[in-house]
Amino acid sequence: MSDRVAIVGIAQSKFSARRPEVNYAEMGYEVIEQVLNNTGLEMQKDIDNSISCSHDIWDGQTISDIGITDVIGGHLRNEEKVAMDGTNMVLYGAIGILSGEFECSLLMAHTKMSQTNRNIVNNDAFDPIYTRILGFDYTSAAALQAKRYMYKYGITQEQCAKVVSKNLANARLNPSAHNMGEYSVGDVLSSPVVASPIHELEIAPDTDGAVAMILASEKKAKEITDNPVWILGFSNCYDAHYLGDRDLADYMSLQKAAQKAYNMAGIKNPRREIDVVELCDAFSYQELLWSEGLGLCGQGEGGRLLDSGATALKGKIPVNPSGGLLSGVPENVAGLNRAAEAYLQVKGEAGEHQVGNVRIAVAQGHSGFCGQHHCVLVLGKE
Amino acid sequence: MTKKEKELISIPITVNVPYRFAAGKYMTKFLMELKNNGKILAIKCPKCGRVQLPPRVVCAQCHVKNDEWVELSHEGTLVAFTIMYLPLTDPTTGKPHKPPFVYGSVRLDGATSVLDHLVNIEPTMDKVWVGMRCKVVLRPQKDRIGDLSDIRCLEPLPGQKKPRG
Repeated sequence: MSDRVAIVGIAQSKFSARRPEVNYAEMGYEVIEQVLNNTGLEMQKDIDNSISCSHDIWDGQTISDIGITDVIGGHLRNEEKVAMDGTNMVLYGAIGILSGEFECSLLMAHTKMSQTNRNIVNNDAFDPIYTRILGFDYTSAAALQAKRYMYKYGITQEQCAKVVSKNLANARLNPSAHNMGEYSVGDVLSSPVVASPIHELEIAPDTDGAVAMILASEKKAKEITDNPVWILGFSNCYDAHYLGDRDLADYMSLQKAAQKAYNMAGIKNPRREIDVVELCDAFSYQELLWSEGLGLCGQGEGGRLLDSGATALKGKIPVNPSGGLLSGVPENVAGLNRAAEAYLQVKGEAGEHQVGNVRIAVAQGHSGFCGQHHCVLVLGKE
Repeated sequence: MTKKEKELISIPITVNVPYRFAAGKYMTKFLMELKNNGKILAIKCPKCGRVQLPPRVVCAQCHVKNDEWVELSHEGTLVAFTIMYLPLTDPTTGKPHKPPFVYGSVRLDGATSVLDHLVNIEPTMDKVWVGMRCKVVLRPQKDRIGDLSDIRCLEPLPGQKKPRG
């Protein structure tokens, strides 16, 4: 049985608004081939478990991992799928290794948002009798959450827009990103209102792409690399499905997930001990709200934290140096991309968006509208 | 309309999600060759040598990238079939296939795996059997559109009789 689990390699697509030239197996194989080459590992010899992450309704196929079993090494071997955010796949893969069942697991998340319509797909996440029938989607639900959050804590439109300015500027330094640029707060607020208070530039764009990662037991990791990145803590937590069952300006499930992950990693003071955070800013305001939930600041202080400059690329706790989801990361892939970016930061291999020397990095992912389910990973050097 | 059964309510909702599926690099080549040249191309694993349909990026057994194309014969052997009495929907038209009809799996000469398609044959057990030799019937070139319906059906080769027993 392994005491610890390490990330020993990652590979990421160059994300793109549309990849019409590849199907999702071919898209997935691009990153699988790359991560195996990077680590020098062989499918048959080294990989003893394969896990994928996507969603049937996005893929347009039931049990949609049947579309990628060939490329992920699932043929006459064990292969499983996580139909939630990619952070959850890392947690699931780590547990498999900690159990002693597996030594070296290949993870791959993939989604082509361009092949369908996000509003229709997301409408199917809602209870058919109570909310689906209204036509609800993630953007409309997010707009309710944004409004509630802004009302309750005095968060301003400018502060939300500033998240976009920051992240799209960071994205210019990230070779995987496809949505980037120099946008002022005024530019963001003069983009069309999609669902007030949310503007077009405040919504993560439709994206196609895949990310692969290899997890290994402590013993195996040390055979593969001299400097693995350790998964020091992980946890996840669900909140209520119905929007009215929770105060949307709060983040009970994130707070609980973060607390448990920090305890596991021995983190007592997240504000001081965490060097960098990659989180799921599917909508601009979520970066502020999730910063609070992760304990980077107090309740209602997400806007002030941003204004202080602490979350900037060279700030005290940089948040989304990669550009985050706003820079273009597919749904379902988002969490594995967060974990991959956190890995690169710990390795010191994030290139131009490296934030400095990172000892502890945190990755957060969520599934469901308004962050119903959260997962938090703590990665570190030692 | 909402339907009341006694005092129970159920609400009809059609889950209608539109997709546009990329054929991908391998199936695009397969479909283009079929459409333009009437050829049926399979992919051969560089390691184990099996010749697969549909063409795809990786040989699942060997986990190596496929890149050798093989042209298959238009004739082959039926390895399984079924006479269908369900009016299954054709997903490209939304219209039902008219039962009874025959689905068959044919191993085209030169292939390791099969081509599944409709078999144009009288749907009775006397007329169709495992081991029957079949050929592929294509749409006339001018009518081909670049999807699997460019193969219209499978048809038995003439002059065969169902073996006794």
